[in-house]
Amino acid sequence: MPKDKFFKVIENKIHPNEKLVSTHCSYCGMQCGMNLRVDTTTNKIIGVEPRYDFPVNLGKMCPKGVTAYQQVNHPDRIQRPLIRTDASLKGTAEGFREASWEEALDLIVSKFKELQHNYGKDTLSVYSGVSMTNEKCYLTGKFARVALQTRYIDYNGRFCMSSAAAGLNRSLGIDRGSTIPWTDIHQTDCLFLAGSNAAECHPTSMFRIWEVQNRGGYLIVADPRETPLARRADIHLDLRPGTDLALANGIVHLLIENGHIDEDFIRNHTNGFEETKEVVATFTPEYVSEITGVSVEKIVRAADIFGRAPDAIVMFCRGVEQQAKGTDNVSAYTNMSLVTGKIGRPKSGVATLTGQGNGQGGREHGQKADQLPGYRKLDNPEHVREIACAWGIPAEEMPQKGVSAYEMFQLMKDKTIRSLYLLCSNPVVSAPNLNHVRESLKSLDFMVCCDFYLSESAEYADVVLPVTTWAEDDGTTTNLEGRIIRHRQAQEWFAESKPDWWIQIEIAKRMGRGKFFTYLKSPQDIFNEIRQVSKGGVADYYGVTYEKIDQNNGVFWPCREEGDEGQPHLFLDKKFYHPDGKAKICALPYRPPAEEPDEEYPLRLTTGRVVFHYLSGNQTRRIPFLKDMYPDPLLEVHPKTATRYGIEHDELVTLKTRRGEAQYRVKVIEAIREDTVFVPYHWGKAQSINLLTNPALDPYSKMPEFKACAAKIIKHKHGGVRHG
Amino acid sequence: MGKQVLYIEMDNCIGCRSCLAACTQCGGHDSRNRNYVLDVDPFISRQTIPLMCFHCVNPACARSCPAQAIQIADNGAVLSALVEKCIGCQNCTIACPYGIPKFDEEQNLMYKCDLCYDRTKEGIPPMCASVCPTNTLQWIEEAELEEKRAQIPLANGKWTASHDPDVLEGETNVKISLPGILQGKQKLF
Repeated sequence: MPKDKFFKVIENKIHPNEKLVSTHCSYCGMQCGMNLRVDTTTNKIIGVEPRYDFPVNLGKMCPKGVTAYQQVNHPDRIQRPLIRTDASLKGTAEGFREASWEEALDLIVSKFKELQHNYGKDTLSVYSGVSMTNEKCYLTGKFARVALQTRYIDYNGRFCMSSAAAGLNRSLGIDRGSTIPWTDIHQTDCLFLAGSNAAECHPTSMFRIWEVQNRGGYLIVADPRETPLARRADIHLDLRPGTDLALANGIVHLLIENGHIDEDFIRNHTNGFEETKEVVATFTPEYVSEITGVSVEKIVRAADIFGRAPDAIVMFCRGVEQQAKGTDNVSAYTNMSLVTGKIGRPKSGVATLTGQGNGQGGREHGQKADQLPGYRKLDNPEHVREIACAWGIPAEEMPQKGVSAYEMFQLMKDKTIRSLYLLCSNPVVSAPNLNHVRESLKSLDFMVCCDFYLSESAEYADVVLPVTTWAEDDGTTTNLEGRIIRHRQAQEWFAESKPDWWIQIEIAKRMGRGKFFTYLKSPQDIFNEIRQVSKGGVADYYGVTYEKIDQNNGVFWPCREEGDEGQPHLFLDKKFYHPDGKAKICALPYRPPAEEPDEEYPLRLTTGRVVFHYLSGNQTRRIPFLKDMYPDPLLEVHPKTATRYGIEHDELVTLKTRRGEAQYRVKVIEAIREDTVFVPYHWGKAQSINLLTNPALDPYSKMPEFKACAAKIIKHKHGGVRHG
Repeated sequence: MGKQVLYIEMDNCIGCRSCLAACTQCGGHDSRNRNYVLDVDPFISRQTIPLMCFHCVNPACARSCPAQAIQIADNGAVLSALVEKCIGCQNCTIACPYGIPKFDEEQNLMYKCDLCYDRTKEGIPPMCASVCPTNTLQWIEEAELEEKRAQIPLANGKWTASHDPDVLEGETNVKISLPGILQGKQKLF
């Protein structure tokens, strides 16, 4: 690994009667290293200390990271299993009683068996998440297919990373979110960030991002809002939400026209250039400006800088991916790297900023409706045979491909699915078109939810199982670079909570499928099974061991043999992962967002995050510091738009789309386009912006279009200005 | 290791308030932050700046204290009021031009940033600078500070807000680069 200019040897502060446990943050894909302070007399986690030796963040933490430990012994933790006593109270926190694990597990298994007897195996479903360890993600896929024997499993990565996965697979033949380690970022000459509010969503990347400019390099940001990142950019491409594809095509057009392409690289290592050249030919700066609203001058200047940069990195995030053409957007931005040959070498490449903690690892181990471990495909009979053999089941017993996360709710509504096992996710806040999702959950015959707090989704469950937090169990995650790292148990399991892997093995036993699971007695046992099962797959973990992770501060996959050190940089040999070893430059015609503004709904609504909250806010809204800093969602409106609607800063207004409405306080700020409004999505119940968002799905990734839909503001008759 | 100083690069601030959250984690800070982040013009941009104690060489808070309750440590850290000496007169809160010392009504005691003296005396960076994800707050040696000064020359020879001592609070131990320091930066290409 290259030496990091920011690295300093710093001793850790250790307080009397305390020990430090080295682990990683529970939140975003950065998976920052941190030390948990543990009181050696009570064996409880009591605080946090920076961990200066982890190369990604070098001790730096965002406000969520600093306060993450406060989740563990929080008074809101669920202490023991809960069983619903009053079905009429579904959707509220009322109507539960406490129960023993025996009773709860017996009830779950008897209901599962009864439903499967009456309606077939596929009447059960599993809806998972990727804020869990690789071990738990892997076991969940096996649990659904081997213990419950259902085809219906999918996960909340559909709402987060699936377009990045599909786009990178199509362009590069492999879905590892970054082709470079994060320590390359500050060394590049031009950083092009599209749809990434990195300052708020991945703050510990910022010291590297600013360093590009400190060294005299360029920072180009494409975003409808003047985010803290865009504020300091050399060029801010302030495009209309949902028009990224036109912008990317326009830049590729200029790269070709100005001779900023690498003809040797294109000829020897790519396919599809000629078709792409034809498609982008019409994307002149003037045409692109018309679609995106970005000035011609800025588009030309951005393409010129990117083209002339000796090294350049293209990074993208949810702004680009959470669209009904997110996959195309990802491939279109990747085209910029491919036509210029700025990929497959240090300091140049593409990277996506992973939202969820284990967004990378969680999508490699078979939690997706169409995937098996090691990125194997369910529609490939050879892959099915390999995994069935590893699991010890006949290949014909392997359930078929299921449907994507949002589509599962539709199947619940029509009773194809009658039961849901929900873990590590809060879709009642994070899915689009929430009124529909909430009705779907209410229509279930039986629902189980595993969580450590009573989330908005848990309120719909018949049984709630208390699970351990990130700091109470061992395991690995794979961060946004593709680096596999160790989480360490710092405290015993809280009250009567249990890890997800323990629960799944218990249910498997009771379902009569114990022989496929009971030999897995610890996370390390499960990890060793991942190593074996992923061997030969694209995401090959075979050469990764817990010991090697400890020695090297993480190991990058693919890591195929025990002597293999892993691959921080991908494609150094210029071999891409398509069968012919070439990358694909994709010809992608532009199409507008699924819903465009009109007379009735004249504004564009876009959604996103704030620095103080994580995903559905189930965890961060309970942390006093974070709650105080940003207690309620605000509707960001440009001053001219506010004037047009006659609304003032801090006024309560209704925001409405074709799917629903909700009330928000107005935040007037010039740092947003006049035709666009923004609301963060971390809140539940009536404050959920996803009551309004559009479930139009990307055809390849099935990711919904969270980032662009038509909306209108309704002023309340009597105003609503809060004074004092 | 040479003398280390807190250096603030205002332009880097993204308003994440990690420094505030981290301050609450420092030993002896009673879960209360002693630093602040200001929105420069919240109706216009997302520009924010941190406001920390600058640990003045000749601090107004200490000079105004009738009880000599405010000690200055060997590394220049201006400490919180000593419990046994502070008489709760709040002269320090009035005297400080930056509004740093705060008053705890219940304890009848002033409290302020002490530059994480329990850490910095052992060569460990203050919590705020340890965690700052943007390098707005940096704990650096004086030699590094000189390097930064050489890299960012301004026409008037001044590059930090804290320069020659003047009437009251001129010289500070904490150094600040002004917003806009990238304006004269030579680009790589």
